[in-house]
Amino acid sequence: MTGLSICVRFLLRRNWVRLLLWAAVLAVMIPVVYNSQQQIFPTQADRDAYAQVANNPAVAAMTGLPYAAGSLGGILVIKIWMTLAVALGFASIFLVTRNGRADEEEGRTELLRSSALGRHAYSVANYAVAGALSVVTGLLISLLCLEVDLPAAGSWAMGASIAGTGLAFVAVGALCGQLSSTSRGANSLGVVVLAVFYFIRAGADLQANGTEASPLSWFSPIGWAQTMRPFGQDTWWPLAPLVLLALVGCAVALRIETHRDLGMGLLPERRGPATATAFLVQPVGLVLRLQRGSLVGWLAGAAVVGLFFGGVGQAMSDAIDPSNPYAKAFVGDSATVLQGVMGLLVLFNGLLAGAFAVQCLAGARAEEASGRLESQLSGALSRSRWLFAQMLVAAAGSAAMLLLGGWLMGASSQGAATGGELAAASLAYWPAVLLMLGVLLFLHGFLPRLSVSLSWAVYGISVLVAMFGSLFSLSEAAIKATPFGAVPRMPVADFALMPLVVLLLIAVVLAALGVWRFRTRDIVTE
Amino acid sequence: MSASDLAVAATGLHKHFGRTTALAGLDLQVEKGIVAGFLGPNGSGKSTTIRILLGLLTSDGGTARLLGGDPWRDAVELHRRIAYVPGEVSLWPNLTGGQAIGILSRLRGGVDTAKRDSLLERFKLDPTKKARSYSKGNRQKVALVAGLASNAELLILDEPTSGLDPLMEQVFTECIREVKDEGRSVLLSSHIFAEVEKLCDTITIIREGRTVEAGRLDALRHLHRTTVSIVLDREASVLATVPGINDLAVDGPKATFTVGEAELGGVLAVLSSYAPHTLVSSPPSLEDLFLRHYGGPAAGSAPSDAPAEGKHRAGTRSTPPCPVPASLPVTCQFRAP
Repeated sequence: MTGLSICVRFLLRRNWVRLLLWAAVLAVMIPVVYNSQQQIFPTQADRDAYAQVANNPAVAAMTGLPYAAGSLGGILVIKIWMTLAVALGFASIFLVTRNGRADEEEGRTELLRSSALGRHAYSVANYAVAGALSVVTGLLISLLCLEVDLPAAGSWAMGASIAGTGLAFVAVGALCGQLSSTSRGANSLGVVVLAVFYFIRAGADLQANGTEASPLSWFSPIGWAQTMRPFGQDTWWPLAPLVLLALVGCAVALRIETHRDLGMGLLPERRGPATATAFLVQPVGLVLRLQRGSLVGWLAGAAVVGLFFGGVGQAMSDAIDPSNPYAKAFVGDSATVLQGVMGLLVLFNGLLAGAFAVQCLAGARAEEASGRLESQLSGALSRSRWLFAQMLVAAAGSAAMLLLGGWLMGASSQGAATGGELAAASLAYWPAVLLMLGVLLFLHGFLPRLSVSLSWAVYGISVLVAMFGSLFSLSEAAIKATPFGAVPRMPVADFALMPLVVLLLIAVVLAALGVWRFRTRDIVTE
Repeated sequence: MSASDLAVAATGLHKHFGRTTALAGLDLQVEKGIVAGFLGPNGSGKSTTIRILLGLLTSDGGTARLLGGDPWRDAVELHRRIAYVPGEVSLWPNLTGGQAIGILSRLRGGVDTAKRDSLLERFKLDPTKKARSYSKGNRQKVALVAGLASNAELLILDEPTSGLDPLMEQVFTECIREVKDEGRSVLLSSHIFAEVEKLCDTITIIREGRTVEAGRLDALRHLHRTTVSIVLDREASVLATVPGINDLAVDGPKATFTVGEAELGGVLAVLSSYAPHTLVSSPPSLEDLFLRHYGGPAAGSAPSDAPAEGKHRAGTRSTPPCPVPASLPVTCQFRAP
């Protein structure tokens, strides 16, 4: 453990902006959402009415069982608990990978280990810093709950349950970082594990007896944290298994680290073909090969989400009483509540496709930054042809995701909607996805070094507004002025051509400017 | 010599990165059918020049011609006729070396499979391993095999042997000689003097983005002094008054000094009267030429016309410090200007 404190200080120095942003953005959701919910449900009568409709399959599947929908604290949990817990889980996985496997892959760990540093000092420091983010974020959440005058016991349980989820995923990140030998592999594995845990608990909450989740919930740490029920029973003991999972997981990760060689993972490296196929040497073939794993993963994700949400939609069809006004508040301005839920699920599918598109096209910048683009351009390959291959895979891949996810959602909803309807409704998000690609291409042309992080920021803000715009008390017009908000939310809303044409036009103009600039600028490596 | 005899012709190249000046009027000529050495310390602008020649960077001034074409405008057409090997090879981590060779070769207009297989054999490279498990030397070999397997008219090699062991450097030397025998041209950027002396017909030495010395290696040698070590029958201090002798170091009857080409005859006549026991003369090495321009033992200061910014970065990628294998009789001491 020699050098642990130096490592901790180094990690804080290297990650402080990131840590600060995660903690601040997550914690600040509490007062923002609380205030908006206070406006929507000003009186106890309003909340009681909401409580009657809150317990429906869509809410249960997406955000957990509404055990205290008659109180502001309980409503806060419904609206934001799952988002915060899952986001902190992502933060933990990404942080641990960034400072663990990514460093090892780049050879920085080797440099550090060659100095007078204990074998595990850097990894322990990494887990500790990621764990500290969870603890501090949980603390901030509790303090902000107290600040808005929520009950003290519930406030502390709220912060602790979210922090506990974050801690559990520090261990997940640590283990993934030991199993995979690349940072990309570690992050993908971590995200898959998180998704599996999310769907396990969603299944458990769907099979609930009243507001009691099925025992399936015990197979997911997110389910453990949910059992703490802030502003409900305020149960504290589930925090113990969460912390225990974090400690045991990190200990196992350290144990694996002792027994493997630096730079290697537990999953073995296989040999590959000695020559390239005729397909691989084509620009599009190369991009498809490089994105193969990610493409398969995202398509599988879209399929799972589609099937799952289709099932939820079906369960919704007789669960909601459309005469209740608060059902309307949840699913937007809808003629039939069911179609409103379907519209929300389709939007979710569109957002997933957008994330894939940005991640896929961000590969173009990675090629340039690493110097691999220079090797390709020094062959007889024009810049526009190279960039076109990158664009084509991102655009076509996202269209496939939208169609597949939408179709499966409709097909599995057993009559709530048809596969064709929801596939079409999903495809309406394609212009918004293409706009994300346009933004990335524009930035790639003009600000290559910042293009990827700025594009993710644009995407993140677009998602926040589209998903939570009404929670933040944003006006309808403001939400409709953002990429994913502008798309007509079919099937509940009618198809409208204009917004899609406008999105497409902006996307084309941005992309054209970006491509023009890329063809005339220097190649920038890192 | 007419312009059509030149594989590379760059005059007065300028390039700025923000406020730093990478190139400040660089000249570089490579005749067709020869191997041209391109020497300079880290950050002197070698890679920046090469990237301009490849159309990856635009120049801020001056002209550059590559095989008679415009390296920026005619990039794609020109690249069918050249092969490039970067100094720091980055490969796709989850593709094998063989796949990477296929992709890079294809972009140069196809693979000569027999040639590729023979090169794989000579460089002892396993093409079935994933690139992430390759060492630096093996990644370098991938780029070398891809470049050498082509039938390009011009090979542009940017410090191509960094990371290779002496045996593999020998293989590389043989390969370049074969390329030359086939009448093809090579631009070889390097800071390994032995390699350049062995292979190159002409050299261009640059410093801080401008050319300080250029010409045929043998012609350049004539401009500089021969080093003579001698043992006389008497105290060697008598040499101090002989005209034409410079840099004299005396140790009893032993002495070492340098002498210019023009004075050599006169000096030898004087020496013979002192009945020397042994005499060893060595021609100026490339290293001497180089150090003369970079403040080695002979000349201490930078040329007065050097730009004032000090250290530059060539491009944005950092080059590794001095990859000279210990087995080579070469010293490498660049003094920061």
